[in-house]
Amino acid sequence: MDAINDIARPGTRWTAVFLRATVVLLTLTTAAVHASLGGFLFTMNALGYAAFAVAMVLPGPFGRIRWLVRVALIGFTLATIGGWVLFGARFPLAYVDKGVEVALVVFLAIELWLFDGGPFGIARRTRRLASAFAATVATRGAR
Amino acid sequence: MTRLGARSLGWSAALALVIAACSAPAAWTGPPPTAPPGGVLIVAQALAFDRTRLAVPAGVPFEFLVASYDAAPHNVTILDDGGRPVFVGETFGGPGSRTYSVPPIAAGRYRFRCDVHTYMTGTVDASPSVAQ
Repeated sequence: MDAINDIARPGTRWTAVFLRATVVLLTLTTAAVHASLGGFLFTMNALGYAAFAVAMVLPGPFGRIRWLVRVALIGFTLATIGGWVLFGARFPLAYVDKGVEVALVVFLAIELWLFDGGPFGIARRTRRLASAFAATVATRGAR
Repeated sequence: MTRLGARSLGWSAALALVIAACSAPAAWTGPPPTAPPGGVLIVAQALAFDRTRLAVPAGVPFEFLVASYDAAPHNVTILDDGGRPVFVGETFGGPGSRTYSVPPIAAGRYRFRCDVHTYMTGTVDASPSVAQ
């Protein structure tokens, strides 16, 4: 339960558990599908999804940047879908997997909306992160 | 090792097992594949075709047997000079085989590939002199 403390507010804990479990399950499902296809690119893609699944449940300090993991996983999934639309083979398992990936994006968007403040919240957090990064770089530069 | 580190390691190990199980090669159980009469045979193994050149008859239909020793799905698509498909074979999971009935194609040089693994590729020479 530690892993979802970053998103759980009173009254939303079970929603958070359900959403997080669904996101991890969908991520592992598409990782397994890509792993089953073999070859370097599919294996790298599968490992990427597996790493995101781990990042979605890592507890402690990782919880503070969960929003970043969500945004990155949405980007990774959309890039994978885009790659398939442009170059991918059309066969039943591929269509099933694209369904899984679309569902993953939808669930991540719901999490993002409920717990990260939606697009405006993400923009605020990104600005704050960029400021902190710039300040760190400036401090190191001054030494 | 911290509790956080141990837990992360456990998750990673479980995920690695899932990935490994999904990508483990499966064994071929059928008899050794042989080319259909008047047709062609190609074998997919370890994500590669066993040959990169095929000779097929031009102007008449022929059978194209694809035998796969891989667990990964494969198919064969035949493309013309401009990259337009002249025949698209059904994708199937392995290990297993499919016999495609290819409609007549004009004499000339074509390319073939697996649509799932587009680096599995070769050339097809269609000629009227290829025996039926």
